[in-house]
Amino acid sequence: MMRVYDVALTIPDNEAYTALTALRRMGVDVARVERGDVFVADVALGDAEALDATFRTLETLFNPNKHRLAIREAAGPLPGEVWIAPLRDPEPPTAGVIVAGRRLPGTRALLRRTVWRLFDAHDRFVSGETLDAAVAGLLCNPAFQLALRP
Amino acid sequence: MSPRVAVPVYPGTNSEDETLRAIHAVGLEGTLVHWSAGASGLRGFDAYVLPGGFAYEDRVRAGAVAAHDPMTDAIVEAAEAGKFVLGICNGAQILLETGLVPGTGAIRRPTAAFAPNGPSGRFRCVHVHVKLQVPTSRSPLFAGLGEGAVIPMWAAHGEGRLAATDAELARLDADGLVAFRYSDRRGATSDAAVPNASALGCAGLINARGNVLAIMPHAERDAWTYMHRDGAARAEARGASAAMLAPSGGIALFRSLALALGVRA
Repeated sequence: MMRVYDVALTIPDNEAYTALTALRRMGVDVARVERGDVFVADVALGDAEALDATFRTLETLFNPNKHRLAIREAAGPLPGEVWIAPLRDPEPPTAGVIVAGRRLPGTRALLRRTVWRLFDAHDRFVSGETLDAAVAGLLCNPAFQLALRP
Repeated sequence: MSPRVAVPVYPGTNSEDETLRAIHAVGLEGTLVHWSAGASGLRGFDAYVLPGGFAYEDRVRAGAVAAHDPMTDAIVEAAEAGKFVLGICNGAQILLETGLVPGTGAIRRPTAAFAPNGPSGRFRCVHVHVKLQVPTSRSPLFAGLGEGAVIPMWAAHGEGRLAATDAELARLDADGLVAFRYSDRRGATSDAAVPNASALGCAGLINARGNVLAIMPHAERDAWTYMHRDGAARAEARGASAAMLAPSGGIALFRSLALALGVRA
């Protein structure tokens, strides 16, 4: 089964701010940018809860002092989001997934995506056209990346 | 008067001093230009050398934000006017993000990238050799190099793997845009010589016009005898400080740039 972990900063995000500045310089009409990491795990059916518990203790991926963690149902972007993924994911390890020296229980693969959410001056998601401009101009290099939309 | 070469410094650039030193060593007048000078501060130079580092901390993607820095507008203008532009490591990543190299698409619509290293995705620092893959007549930037020149350099990057669609890679190869490939010290190319799984074994790309070169390994970090990993060169110079401090190896790339700008050694 797929288990999706959405990790976002709760402290100011310098990278999101830099992206916001660059997008505005490009003429993209955006007022606020959120960025986060999404980890998509392919985990054995009976090991999902054990993986949840392990994930919460992997400080290289999730540090409760500066992140919030949400576990999602869907293994794809929600409305308003764009996920940036590599064109080709690395081959899954044959001997299970190890992060920071710890084996993730029952996990066959763990894929990482960057999630971007762009907001307008009314704190609503920007239009599809604006998001397209941001993706094509800055957020995704199609030579090696893929922009996933709902 | 010596030709004037600008070395743009973005927030996070970290190889500007070594680059400037190599530029001075080959008889060029180099100037550091900080991002706060904007595009106007970067106009009017004869050539540009974008040094290595982590411009804007590689935020979003290596080179992506710097490609949109106002200062970069002046580099795009200069390249389009036919001036020489050399990007090393992060400078090369910026040139690919601007689309100046390989120059097969629109400006700021990249068609290739120096993407995370394969297979691990990790940063690697390793001594390499690169071999010139195109005739020296292909660009004035190569006029000072011998045919098939092999140059020692240090590769130090986390994102140096050439990536593009299969069709684009075929085009880069067929059109002579792959300027340098990783090789051994004798110039033999093989997968084993490639430190990052770069497509086509590519270490450096040049545009069709031949005035913009993007190369990942650092020539300026292997440009004096005492820097060489090859112990034989250092052993020959042992006890002779002038020989130990003499420019050699990677300095060839800068000498060739100087020659392109009319400076004879």
